[in-house]
Amino acid sequence: MADRGLPASDMPSSTPDLFDLTPVPAGRAAGLSLVPSVPANASQRASRELWLCLWLPCLPLDALPGEDLSRQEPACVVEGDGSRQVVVAVNDAALRRGVTPGLGLNAALALWPDLRLHPRQPAAEAALLERLARWGTQFTPRVSLEPPQALLAEVRGSLGLFGGIGSLRQRALRELRGRGLRAIATAAPTPRAALWLARAGIEDPVESVDALPALAARLPLACLGWPPAAMRTLVTLGVRTVADLARLPRDGFARRFGPALLDELDEGFGRRPQPRPRAVMPERFDGSLELPVESESTRLVEIALERLLGDLQVFLHARSAGTGGLVVEFRHRARPATRLRLGLARPSGDARHLLALLRERLARTRLPAPVASLRLRSTTVMPLELRAGALPGEEARDADPEAAARLLERLRARLGGDAVFSVCLVPEHRPEFAWRVAEPSLEKKREKGTLPLSVEAVATEAPATSITEKGGAPFRPLWMLAEPQPLMDCGGLPCHGGQPLRLAGGPERIETGWWDGRDVRRDYYVATDRGGVRLWVYRQRDRGGGWWLHGVFG
Amino acid sequence: MTSAGLDELLRHPSLWRASSAGNAPGTLPTGFRRLDERLPGGGWPLDTLIELLLPAHGVGEINLLVPVLRALGQQGAGPRRWIAWLCPPHLPYAPALASAGLDPATMLVVQPRARSLLGTTPSSKSTPPSSDPTLWAMEQALRSRACAAALGWVDAADGHALRRLKLAAEEGGSLGFLFRPLHRADEPSPATLRLSLEPRGRMLDVQVLKCQGGRPGRVEAVLGERMADGG
Repeated sequence: MADRGLPASDMPSSTPDLFDLTPVPAGRAAGLSLVPSVPANASQRASRELWLCLWLPCLPLDALPGEDLSRQEPACVVEGDGSRQVVVAVNDAALRRGVTPGLGLNAALALWPDLRLHPRQPAAEAALLERLARWGTQFTPRVSLEPPQALLAEVRGSLGLFGGIGSLRQRALRELRGRGLRAIATAAPTPRAALWLARAGIEDPVESVDALPALAARLPLACLGWPPAAMRTLVTLGVRTVADLARLPRDGFARRFGPALLDELDEGFGRRPQPRPRAVMPERFDGSLELPVESESTRLVEIALERLLGDLQVFLHARSAGTGGLVVEFRHRARPATRLRLGLARPSGDARHLLALLRERLARTRLPAPVASLRLRSTTVMPLELRAGALPGEEARDADPEAAARLLERLRARLGGDAVFSVCLVPEHRPEFAWRVAEPSLEKKREKGTLPLSVEAVATEAPATSITEKGGAPFRPLWMLAEPQPLMDCGGLPCHGGQPLRLAGGPERIETGWWDGRDVRRDYYVATDRGGVRLWVYRQRDRGGGWWLHGVFG
Repeated sequence: MTSAGLDELLRHPSLWRASSAGNAPGTLPTGFRRLDERLPGGGWPLDTLIELLLPAHGVGEINLLVPVLRALGQQGAGPRRWIAWLCPPHLPYAPALASAGLDPATMLVVQPRARSLLGTTPSSKSTPPSSDPTLWAMEQALRSRACAAALGWVDAADGHALRRLKLAAEEGGSLGFLFRPLHRADEPSPATLRLSLEPRGRMLDVQVLKCQGGRPGRVEAVLGERMADGG
């Protein structure tokens, strides 16, 4: 070979096999190396994408229902059967005693015989990961699951809103901690690199593709998550870190380990795009939560409800929507569930407001048995109307339909639906039928005319005669009694509170309604009592006569 | 542009200036000349709590408020805010409201519990005042920004609850009218304005008991010949 005068470095790249460990020399096309070399003038140009990876090392343990209370005892989750059971997750107490994930069950029990063992629950883990995916949509719509233990989210577009990757990462970790979850959070320009960094425990975000090769030396081979057989072979070849892979030739590597692993490396270093499937979000919210212990205490139930409502808020916020109502199920151990339905006057996605409403309802609901778990479902989810904010100084004087709906819901949640109402006019001449209870309107349109209904029009429609004052409108009291109240008759005059009333105006005769059987034949008078209160009274002209009190002028 | 021209421009009513934002909310005329002359600022103070003490329900207290409720209904350019009636002794009668120039659709009636009829206000001593649903509902209405005014009928209320109402009115930009029996006049109250209504024959006199920025005194015949004032 030497006589051909070809330097070894110029040999065609297809010839060497895997065991020829001649390093790919510098200066070659970058495509020839498994791991790109560190660029001499590494520009810190930010990549187009930035993937946040949340790696949850304790997810198998965190997903177990009711595990919160046993944090003090060493506990672990085991997988596999027979003698090949392996520890997959441990709590802090177990870790202090030397039990680590990956240990065989017998070895673990030798270290700590009282270790509490839980079988792995894949369904619960998947459910928790799904819930976290919904939670993750508050940061970006591009959330992707990496089962069994990681969540990936493309956050480049959201950095402006959350104040940079540093504060976004802190916020995500803080919220996860609030849910009792331990996580490692990191970010990288490609999803696979983010996953590697997270598994390797490197938490400093990497924002540029050019910075990745420099980190390869800090990435142990294990963080790639490759099949055990491939790992064993690579270790025998002296490969300990991802940087060591740079010494292997591409084509030989592909022949030996298959093209899939090669593609993974290329995806990690951003030489090959890696499309990630988005986590699919359901159309309606449906979440449930098991209480750590069965409880009748409203306090504990409220805490669980608050957490579910927080999930709901994130769910709705991600789609700029509100829910038209809620259904809460309190499930008991041996009884049918207690169900609470909440309808909203206006779609809302605000957890605080919804919690305040549910709290009022909960205070009036009796739970027949201790609650084991909660389920929260949204009814119709509809987009929220966006409203422009008012200028300062203007906001107070115009009605805000949102505020009105909230007030209405709050009052009704505490006092009952029929305790709050509005009134409207009915074209009818009998005083007690001239109005009725109406649903309070949220959008009170400003009308040009002063009256929604002309009183004169009523007077001409109704077949009755009346004396009117003030340009045709009949003189009516501002207050009406729900039912006419009988008054004593003292020598031809009505009496109220033991005192005879003085008749000050009238009579106004109302004689109508013969067509529906509730006809009235009355003479109405304005009467004043000794205390100066003006009353609206009438004398019945049939059915035994008598004086009746019908209204107060106020 | 000359400075005179600029001054004229700045005086334009539709021009809002940031420096004027912190000013006092101002007043609204009561609609009764004698009362306006007595009150500081020439009318009802806005965004606060006003207490009216009555010897009985129906001496003319609603007629006294009709002009200001009408004026509140005409404020602003957008949709109208509600006028909340909290635990009124009787039902507001829609035809009379309409002929007084108030839109019945803007009324929000809240009846937390069944109340007995005329004159006899049940004593709420059995329940502590802090949990009185009327006070609670009134505070919600005042604070919500959804009501231009809230009219509440309350008997017992401690100073703490009343202070909460006043704060809620200031926060919500709403006017709170609290109707209480006359024998509560001796109790201290944080209300900006306290009036006692005293019917005298066919007239209604108003005694100003407390008035921030003004002095107490008596206004005679505010509602003179109350029949003619319409109902």
